This record gives sequence, C-alpha cells and structure tokens, in this order.
Amino acid sequence: MSITQETLKNHLKDPAIFCCRREKGAVIGAADLEDPGLFEDMIDAGLLTLSDDALTIEQVLGSTLLTNVEALTPITRDVLDKVNQVETALKATALVKDEKDSEQIMASNTYVGGTGMIHVNIDKLEGLSLDIPVGAALGGSMQVPAPVQENKGEKHVIRKLIKKHIKIVDAEIGKKTSIKDGKITIDGSIVKKAAEEDPLCVSLKLDVIKPEERHLYTETIMDVCPIATKIEGELGEGITKVADGVVFMLTGVDEDGVQVHEFGSSEGFLDEKMYFGHPGCADENDIIIRCHAVIKRLSGMTRPGPFAAHKCQDYIIQAVRNELKQYEGEVIKEEICEDVRRKGNPRVVLVKEIMGQGAMHDNVLCPTEPCGILGGQKNVDCGNVPIILTPNQVRDGSIHALTCIGPATKEMTRHYIREPLVEGLAMDEELDLIGVVCIGSPQVNDEKLWVSERLGSLLEGLDIDGCIITTEGFGNNHIDFIQHIGQAGKRGIPVVGVSFCAYQGQLVVGNEYATAMIEENMDQGGFENNVAGCSCVTKEVAVRAIQMLKNKMAGVEVLPAPKKWSNDVINKNNKLLGLPETKLLDNGTLH
Amino acid sequence: MKRKFSYLLKQHIGSPSKPIVQKGDKVLRGQLIAEAPKDQLGANVFSSISGEVEEVTEQQIRIIADEIQSKEYVKLTSDAPLDLIRESGLVGLGGAGFPTYAKLQKPFTGEGTVIVNAAECEPILDHNMRRIDTEADKLIKGLKIVMEAVKANKGIIAIKNIHTEEIERLKTGINESNIAVATLPNMYPMGEERAIVREVLGTLLEVDQLPMAANAIVINAETVFKIREAVEDKKPLIEKDMTVAGKLQGKLLQVMLDMPLGMLIGDVFKEAGGIGLEYGEIVMGGPFTGKRVSLEDPIIKTTGGLIATEEFWKGPEKIGLLVCACGGNKERLEQIAASMGSKVVGIEYCKQAKELKNGTRKCENPGKCPGQVQKVLKLKKDGAQALLISNCTDCSNTVMSCAPQLKLPVYHCTDGPLRAVNMKLVRRIKE
Repeated sequence: MSITQETLKNHLKDPAIFCCRREKGAVIGAADLEDPGLFEDMIDAGLLTLSDDALTIEQVLGSTLLTNVEALTPITRDVLDKVNQVETALKATALVKDEKDSEQIMASNTYVGGTGMIHVNIDKLEGLSLDIPVGAALGGSMQVPAPVQENKGEKHVIRKLIKKHIKIVDAEIGKKTSIKDGKITIDGSIVKKAAEEDPLCVSLKLDVIKPEERHLYTETIMDVCPIATKIEGELGEGITKVADGVVFMLTGVDEDGVQVHEFGSSEGFLDEKMYFGHPGCADENDIIIRCHAVIKRLSGMTRPGPFAAHKCQDYIIQAVRNELKQYEGEVIKEEICEDVRRKGNPRVVLVKEIMGQGAMHDNVLCPTEPCGILGGQKNVDCGNVPIILTPNQVRDGSIHALTCIGPATKEMTRHYIREPLVEGLAMDEELDLIGVVCIGSPQVNDEKLWVSERLGSLLEGLDIDGCIITTEGFGNNHIDFIQHIGQAGKRGIPVVGVSFCAYQGQLVVGNEYATAMIEENMDQGGFENNVAGCSCVTKEVAVRAIQMLKNKMAGVEVLPAPKKWSNDVINKNNKLLGLPETKLLDNGTLH
Repeated sequence: MKRKFSYLLKQHIGSPSKPIVQKGDKVLRGQLIAEAPKDQLGANVFSSISGEVEEVTEQQIRIIADEIQSKEYVKLTSDAPLDLIRESGLVGLGGAGFPTYAKLQKPFTGEGTVIVNAAECEPILDHNMRRIDTEADKLIKGLKIVMEAVKANKGIIAIKNIHTEEIERLKTGINESNIAVATLPNMYPMGEERAIVREVLGTLLEVDQLPMAANAIVINAETVFKIREAVEDKKPLIEKDMTVAGKLQGKLLQVMLDMPLGMLIGDVFKEAGGIGLEYGEIVMGGPFTGKRVSLEDPIIKTTGGLIATEEFWKGPEKIGLLVCACGGNKERLEQIAASMGSKVVGIEYCKQAKELKNGTRKCENPGKCPGQVQKVLKLKKDGAQALLISNCTDCSNTVMSCAPQLKLPVYHCTDGPLRAVNMKLVRRIKE
C-alpha cells in the first residue's frame, strides 16, 4: 500500500520496498513505496524477505529506476541511478529486526522517579538518556512535559478507612468456631447448616492447606476470598479487620463431578494452578482454608448454581468474621486508606470492566461485610450499568467476584480488596482520582454497546482529564472494552487500556483511540494457561499503566504497538520505570 | 417471422424520454418515437426500423418490424450543428450515455482542447478500430465539427500505440496543424476519461473533476462519427457499432457495424451465426465494466460489446472480493461470486477507488497501482480461500505478486469473457 508524505517521514530509515510494479524511468516517491507498517505481516506471510543490500527509504527518494522492477521487491543499489548518502545507512536491517521485537514502548518517557531525579528518555532504541536532578539543572532550558506542577493538588481527605491486619498463624477444622492465639478453628459441623443456605448446594467440605502442603489435587478454583469484617462504620470508612496469613479458597463440582468451570477450569495440583503472590491469589505463606462445594447436577453453567456455592461459603466465612470481630490479637499493620480530592491535579477515573454475562460471570457489589455476599447486589441484575465506587469502598471489599472461567485472566475477590491500580492511583500525588467505575460486560453485543454508551455519558459528566480502563478475560469482553475506550476517546479524554491480549487474546476489534495499551500477560506462550490469577493487574502493570496515562495526558507520544506481542517490549517499559523484569511462566504453552 | 424491437425510454443519463407514439401507429425508420422532456437533461429516441408500434409502457416502446426494410431514414430538421446534435438523440456512446449536446453546450473561452477518446480500452472490443480503419477521414471531420462547436483551438485523437495502422491512417488524413494524434500505452484503463487527460495533457484530475478543469473535453470516437452523421447527413442516432464475441457458433470475435438500435440481443447473436450451446452469461459492454443481460433485452445507445462468456468455474467455498473503480463494482463481483457458487466472506476496495457522492467509485490515479498487499492480507484473514478481483492491469499485477504466495487463487471479473475468446487473462504483466 503506497504511503503518504506523512508516513514517509516516520519511516525514512526503514527499508524501501516497491508496493507495485514500477517501470524504468520512474522517479521514486512516497506513492511507489510499500508501508513499512505491513512488513511484519508480509514477512510472516512469506511475501517479503529483507536482505542486507536493501536500501532505506531516505536512500532512494528521488532516485530514478534504471529497469522495470516487480511489486514487493526491495529496492537495491543496482536498479537506481543514484543512492542518497545517509550516515546511518548500514543500520537498516538491524532496525527492522529490532522493531519486530518491540510492541508498545513509551517512546519519549518523562517522569519523576523516586530518586529525586527527572528521567528523560528519548527514542526507544538509540536515543539520548539523561538523569537530571530535579530543580536547578532544569533551569527552564529543557522542554520537559512533566506533569508535576506546583501549588496544585493540595490533598483534602474526604474519609478515612483503617484496615487492621490481624496476625493468623494457624487454622484447623475442629469442634467450635473460634480464634485464639492466632489460630482459627472452624466448627466442622458448620458445613451442614451452611449447605442449607441454598437448595442448589448439595454438600460442603472444609479442609486446611498449609503452605508446605500445596502439592495436592484440587477441583477448579472458583474464588480466593479474604476474611475481613467491619468493626466500625460502613464499607469504605471506619475500621475493618482483615485476617492476615489466611484466605478462603472456594472450589466446586456438580453432582456428576463436572467442574463448575468446565472449559477454562483450573483443577489440578494446587501448587501448579495458582500464581501465588498475585493480588487475587493466596500469598506464598498463606494458610488456605479450602471450602469445596458440590452443587446440583447440570447447575454449573447456570447463574444460581455457582452462586449457591459462594453463598454457602459466605455463611462459613461469616462465622469466622464474627469471631474476628471479638479477637484482640496481634495487629501486624494498620493500613490507612483515604478517599481524597486533590483539586487542580488531573481528574482521573479507573474503569473496571467486570464480568456480567451471568452464570459465574457476575459480581456481587457492595455487600454488608467486606468481600461478603449478603446485602450486596449482583451487577448482572443491575443491568451491568456503570456504578461508581470510591477508592476506599473498593479497598474495603465492595466487590465479591463470582467469576472464574479462564482463571488466569479473571480477577478474584481478593484481587479487588488490594487492587494495585486503585492503590496506585489513590496514592498518586500528581493525580486526582475521582472514583472507580465498575461496569459489567453483558453477553449480547447490543447490550454491550448500550452499557458502553452509559459509561460515555458518565465519563463526560465527571469531567475527567484521563482514565484507565481494565478488563478481565479476552475475546468477548474485548468488544465492550474497545467500545469503552472509544467512548472516552471520542470525548477527547486520554485513555489507557489494560488487558490480557498477548497471543491467544489478540484484540480482534479496535478503534482509533486504542493507542495506549498495557499488556497483563505473564504466560510464556501468551495463552490463558489455567493458572488462577496469572495474567491480571499486578503492581508492575499498574505502574506502567499510570505512567502511560500521565504521558498521554501530557501529550508525550506513546509509540504504536507492532502487531506481534513480545514480552521484551514490556520489559523495556519496566526498565524505563525501574520495575523488575516481567518473567513469564512456562506452562507448556509456548509453540 | 417478424422481428420485435424494443426501445428503452431510459438509455442515457438524465430524465426518461416521453413516448409520442401509440399502440398501432405505423412508424418509419428514423422517426422520432420518444422525446427528451422539455428543459431537462435527456435524449430523443428514434425508431431504427419501419414497422408498427405493438406496445408502449413506462419503460419501453416495442415495435414490430416490417419484413422489408429500406435504407432511407427520416431526416433531422434542425439547421445549426448543436441543434442537430441535440435533435439526433446522441449520447456518449462509449458507455457513459451522457447527452452529447449538454457536453458541448458551453464553448471554451480561452484555450481549449477536444480529445477524441479512441482508446477502445476494454479488451475484446474492436469496433472503433474497425471504423477508423475504413473511415478515418470521417472521424477527423467529426472532430472539426466538435472543435468548431465548442471553440476549441486544438484537437487530439488519443489512441493506443499498438494500433499502428489506424494511427497511420489518421495521420495521413490530418491536414490541419491544430489536430494531432496522441498515443497511449496498451494498458487498462487508459480509456478512462481522467487517465486520457493525464496521459495527453499531463494533468491528474481529482475524482470529482471533469476534464473541463483542464480546459479539455473528452469525447468518445464513435460519438464523434455520429456527430458528423447528424450534422452532415442529418441522420438521427439509430445505429450502433459493436463487437459480438465469445461462445459463438461461428467466429469468436465479430465486429458488427451499423446494428439497428432496439434489436433484441438474441437476434444480434442470431445474426452473428448463433450463440454457443453452453455459456456462462451474456455480458453487455466490455469484460471489465460490462453488465449481465438476458437475450430478451434490447441493444441500446451505449451497447459496445455483447459477449457470451465461458461457463463459470466452480469457486471455493469462501471467496474475498477486491473491488476496483476501473472494473466490475461490488454488486457485479457478488453476482459473479454467486455464479461460481462461492460465499463472499470479505469485501475490500482498492485504496484509490474513491466513493463519489452518487455512490459510484472513481480511481484517483487510473492504471497506477497504489499497492494491494494490505487488502489481500485482510481478505485472507477474513477467511477467503480465493480472490475475485476487478482491478486494472497494474493493480492485478500487484495482486498476483502476493496472493499466490498466500495460497490464494485469483479470479478476475474479466475471466469469463477472455476465456471465451481465448485471450490472455488479466494477471501478471509479462514483459
């Protein structure tokens, strides 16, 4: 496809390939050249082989052809009357190869790092990299689009939430539910009463898995849920106690032994089926209280079936919560969460697209107890419309996830109570986080469009300067994800998308506003690898996303993503931001 | 048996003509049977035979021809050349069908060039060349009439460089210093109006610009012949030259001059010795831009070719369409795909095929390919197992430089017509 003068300017150092047959005597210009943006696809398709003697675009412009040349042929010295002298001529092939390895680098990247330095990095490959002390050295002589401005963004606290993390060192199934000396005991007979909570629940079973005992078989993991309870105030304010060092894990099958999450389930050895340490998962040293539910046959793929399992487990957790309320054990840390306004800073929101297709693809919003079920509303029942929560409400367990098919990319209940993007944005002194918008992802395309339009109006009404939109899963939910980006984009709101895409989840839809994307994948082959919580929002993902949003809002260019996913790009971005390398999990998916 | 003739009331750009005869009326050859509505763009329609009006409907006038036909015709009554052109019902005979008087209505005020389009660009078609072969002088005469009418100071006859004999005859016939022959490369679509202006005058017009923007008028060669007939012989437009080709009983390619308008296509094939027993479809026009017609349809003012094509090849289950402004449009390609038994899974347009306000497309730079790889890759991605394209020579060459490597067989909208006459298919350009 011939290129425009504009495109030409961006690709002067790329190889020059004739888009079409050109005849002797032709003077080479933009209209004769193939678009370098297509080279990767062409190489993949076997249409193009770049050789060392291929000239670059800047070398051939204005030269005259000495012979007829066929379409899609690299332009070489021997067919031209002259070759323009360019200093870096020999770099042509190296450059192309490098580009293949890149995906979505932040081209020029300016930010204030924790070291008190302003880091300026220009040009993804061979550009200048400077570390300048903040202040004097800048001296107004350099144009740095850093989003830091003085006398702005003064912090005003709206409400405070204290999360008291209570040390738990042991757990067992015993006679009476209690917490004593850091040990949780759960009355083994509670499962009977719990199972009566919902007629679709046939039976429940509890056991305790110690960190060193994780190489044991587990049925599909439906959720990881913290034990947290309100001591004072409503969700999002007051005091909450969170049991530290222990989590509930819900697993489930139906009466026929069919996994509740059949296709996309995570049954197998627990140590291989969960990404320990990720926000939605158990941490390395957590004790896991496994609650295994058997639900009525064939009810796994319905809305009520999986919900029954969650509801009955919540009955058990509530019994533990009640004990936790009384328990005055060791407080490991007091986490102070604040809903704040920082007037004058860029107003931003975090939009979280959550599952809304029914069955286990649902979420309970704003229950009475943190991460609970009772008192909450399912977002599918709410029509999946965007609902705004304060950052504190999210951090206090306002979202109980009923989601898990494709476990690697889904956010479990524990994820939301410690969502890295919520925490990162709320703490960021350069931004003013207005709220967290949860929007369900309906099944039907018409409904997707409908809820997305509601989101658009909401974003407009909030008068924001930027937003980050995340999604879970891939494929179907990408349809609304891209719609949401479009709704923000067409209103001129800078937007950054965060999703698992990689290989298996490549975006099948797109629009002109989807120009800044953060990849969540941590699987070596780029697949949904059935390891719960593997490819979700992590701390690193959050830092990259927030920086990319700042760049977008400041008008700093975000380089377009080459077509093929590559983890090297992510690591280049990690490096730019001083983040640890993203190491991919080898789960046999590399092809 | 008495032959039936059918005269469509709309065979031109503009308003339909208004019938002025009734059922049972006797008509003569050259008699006006429907007139252009007053003060509207349109064209008169004449009977090309003597006979009796059988039926008048909103679409057409049907006439049963007398067994014996005379060479005489009812002469036009106007005096001034432009009036005669208007009265004669003449429209662009190359296929456009734009009323000729309207095109010539506005004289040049300064410099002006009349370019005769003798490219006869579509493959197979040969009737223009045959006419120039025998009557080159009449074309030059016609050109002079046009130049006079529009106050042009220059006349150019544009013809493909392969037609050396015709070029020679024209050059011999030209005695005027302000008339010249310009040669065009032998590529499709050199006969496109804007391609001709670009080749002859060096000006590339925008897709929505007329040649007038380059101080030029482009007029089809056969139209110029008929202008001379209207002005010098006072003859209305009742006959048409055409090329009849393809799956015929006799010679595969026959030029038929002075065929009476309104003749049914089936009858034309009979005159050509009969249509073959098996054929794919009947195409009216050239292979690139022709349309499917039936044997019961009549020939009209813009009919240039009648081609009985090769039978359709069985296509793959899924096919992708690459639509070009210079060849068959989307609907035409969909029609061919259906005949091939293929389901259309993707439709792409050549980057240069710009859509105009009226929904049709024109090429930004006819015959100069802008590259097709992206479109081909897209169609492959859409699931196409083969491509059906309508691109010009240069663009088809580009498609052939990538589609086969992607294991995508390529079909071209001209395949049926070209196979039927054993001509080389539009694929790669071979030196």
